[in-house]
Amino acid sequence: MITLKKNFFSALILLFLTIIICFFSAFEFLRMHENKKIYPSKGLSTQTKLSTYFKDLQNTPGDTDVYIFQGQKKGGNLLILGGTHPNEPASFITAVLLVENILVSQGKVVIIPRANSSGFTHSDSQEGNPQGFSLETTDGKRWFRYGSRLTNPIHQWPDPALYINPAGQRLSGTESRNLNRCYPGRIKGRLTEKIAYGIMELIKKEEIHLALDLHEAAPEYPVINAIVFHENSAELAALALMELQIEGFEFRLESSPPNLRGLSHREWGDYAKVRAILLETANASQGRFKGKPSASLIVNGKDKNYVKAAKLGRLFVPFDEKGIPLKLRVARHLAAINALVSGLKELAPSIVVELEKMPPPSLVKKEGIGCYLRAQK
Amino acid sequence: MQFIYHLIVFYLTVNLIWYLFREKKFWNQVSTAIVLIIFLLRLFLIK
Amino acid sequence: MSEAVIFLSMVAIFAVLAMGLRLPIGVSLVLSALVGSLLGGEGIGLRHLVEGSFGYFDTILIIVSAMIFMKVLQASGILDTITALLLKTFYKRKFFLLITVMGLIMFPGMITGSSTTAVLSTGALVAPVLMKLGLPRVKTAALIAMGGILGMIAPPVNILVMIMGGGVDMPYVGLTIPLLIIVIPLAIIISLWLGYKDIKTIGFDQMKAILPESFFKKYGFRIYIPLLAVVVLMLGKSVFVQFTPDIGIPAIFFVGSLIGLFCGRPFNFFKVTQEAIKEAMPILCILAGVGMFIQIMTLTGGRGWTVISFLSLPPVLLYLGIAVSMPLFGAVSAFGSASILGVPFVLALINKNAIITTSALSAIAGLGDLMPPTALAGIFAAQVVHENNYFKVLRFCLIPALFELFMGIGVLLLAPLIDKII
Repeated sequence: MITLKKNFFSALILLFLTIIICFFSAFEFLRMHENKKIYPSKGLSTQTKLSTYFKDLQNTPGDTDVYIFQGQKKGGNLLILGGTHPNEPASFITAVLLVENILVSQGKVVIIPRANSSGFTHSDSQEGNPQGFSLETTDGKRWFRYGSRLTNPIHQWPDPALYINPAGQRLSGTESRNLNRCYPGRIKGRLTEKIAYGIMELIKKEEIHLALDLHEAAPEYPVINAIVFHENSAELAALALMELQIEGFEFRLESSPPNLRGLSHREWGDYAKVRAILLETANASQGRFKGKPSASLIVNGKDKNYVKAAKLGRLFVPFDEKGIPLKLRVARHLAAINALVSGLKELAPSIVVELEKMPPPSLVKKEGIGCYLRAQK
Repeated sequence: MQFIYHLIVFYLTVNLIWYLFREKKFWNQVSTAIVLIIFLLRLFLIK
Repeated sequence: MSEAVIFLSMVAIFAVLAMGLRLPIGVSLVLSALVGSLLGGEGIGLRHLVEGSFGYFDTILIIVSAMIFMKVLQASGILDTITALLLKTFYKRKFFLLITVMGLIMFPGMITGSSTTAVLSTGALVAPVLMKLGLPRVKTAALIAMGGILGMIAPPVNILVMIMGGGVDMPYVGLTIPLLIIVIPLAIIISLWLGYKDIKTIGFDQMKAILPESFFKKYGFRIYIPLLAVVVLMLGKSVFVQFTPDIGIPAIFFVGSLIGLFCGRPFNFFKVTQEAIKEAMPILCILAGVGMFIQIMTLTGGRGWTVISFLSLPPVLLYLGIAVSMPLFGAVSAFGSASILGVPFVLALINKNAIITTSALSAIAGLGDLMPPTALAGIFAAQVVHENNYFKVLRFCLIPALFELFMGIGVLLLAPLIDKII
């Protein structure tokens, strides 16, 4: 009887401790669910939701903001997707920068900064990443979340052991939460497949001509600092590459492999028949070799392990003590978008898109991102 | 499917708490408490 | 404090707590992670500790549900019935028995990509047969553990290759032949190596004497339904995925267990669950602890330091580095090893056919499931044969594991040749 009592009390104390631990950690986990505001520029015509294009997404964690900038003159329609992978900050920040600055005089620009909105609500287990990072703007600090490559498991659960994506590719189960493996999506599929389906619907209904998917990759990943193009956009990509070289940005061209299915640059081109391009920059904070993860690693991109890995010839980009900072990565994305838009002008004058007030890549590279952003209200 | 997994996690959480009170060895109780944390957080769809 | 010092202190504290003070391994891991977080200047790092253990949440669900299923098989008499059936079929055919048994153990691993699933389902079914025919307990466990690992590597589903392929944009296509080239010889050699000497062929009367009670007469064919249900549901996802819902491994085991309630000897489901939790608890806590340990190791820069140190080995030592680091890192889990080290190694060997390199590396990474403290395959195999000390099992796994390691390295070295042949 005495032993029973003793273990009863220890159980009670342990249960109490467990609840306390749950309470305090829950507090931190739930902080990631706060959607930080984006402040669109005066050029914004309509702000809507992805669920406008696919009703099933309404009131789900997969629904996300869509910003539409309609020019006065008729022209081409451009889609820019940021935040497909919320652990690739240059992608999301570039999209935010565009939403908060651009004016469109000809054609239409549709921007989705948080393509996988659920992925922003959690951090990857065992990666030790910070939950966010802040950037210095002219009127104060602004905080951004650093999320996960995958949809939050509390929003899409369980993972299958084997995932066969809508395009028929067999992948490991966790990839069922990777938006960029779920195209062209499934109407009655899992949440991530529904997001993919919603984006395909948007492409059709907004009559998009050119669709860009912004990404980052670990410096040890072979497809990096690259323009990955669907074969229908080979000429456009080549033209853009030349312009980028003139401006001093080194890029490589990668053709979208026809047997790698479910990715944006493949299925947007195959199913929606639009010019589809994916852009990659090099982000040390998502790599396997990274040292101590920190907000500074995300923003300044300096890491001694990567310097060492570069010396060992293990990387696909040059990497030295100066690192690859976020401002450079964002500048690269901006420059590539510029080059692709002007390439389109040359190749298809009937679908021209004219952007104004876009932060100049050379200045972003030099002065940073903050001066083009507003501080948190 | 998510509902079924929620049920499974609920059933196992109840079982873990029951086991926590029935187990006599202190360190086994500690082990149970450690495992219980993630079950509770998933049960309430927090993490 | 440098990341290396923090990491080594964490390992040292773990060793003192687990071996010196004899605390449970899981608890020692949690405490050493906590100290690591403090040393790294991260405070208690509560969010990181909890987040780390979530890395194994799905694995923990699989283990608990598989364990419940195994207990249901025992409680309902299904296990005895199947043992009787296998004994009657195979008691005088040694070679055929060993090969069939190996195939049976591997089967759930082949279709789910998880060694734990294999060890705890068909592994548990064949264990009594092997032991009754004279194979010592720990050798039986070793055979089951190796079978589970080979099942995990064998086609059609090899999650390790999928993880590595995902890191280098290689689609999961054309893997069947290279994986079979690795697995088939290993399956034959390992089953004979571990079993041929000890397994006895016996006479009919002897067989009758050791035959457990079969419940087939009492309950008829329905006694096999729980097992069939699990097999069909597992096959569903890899063979006819379009027609069956993919409900995930934990739910499959729960379905099998619930059906078991109505197909054999009656039992109390809640009590069976309690027994399953009691047996699984040490490993559940180890997994939660390893998750925390890894997260803090990454957070303090220790993971990056470890990976870079292995990659800094001179090129001549690359293969040695692979042979040592991938199984070692498997202490985290074979999947972790494939992701963290497998991908850089595939890239280091980029001039060879990636299909062959990933296949070979998956065989080497798979051995991680024998690496303490997690040693999933070893621990569960020991539990299946009721052996408390899983290190005894690991001792007998050593030679077969070396076979597998040499096979993996051999295929890596001969990759250009194999590439030409297939």
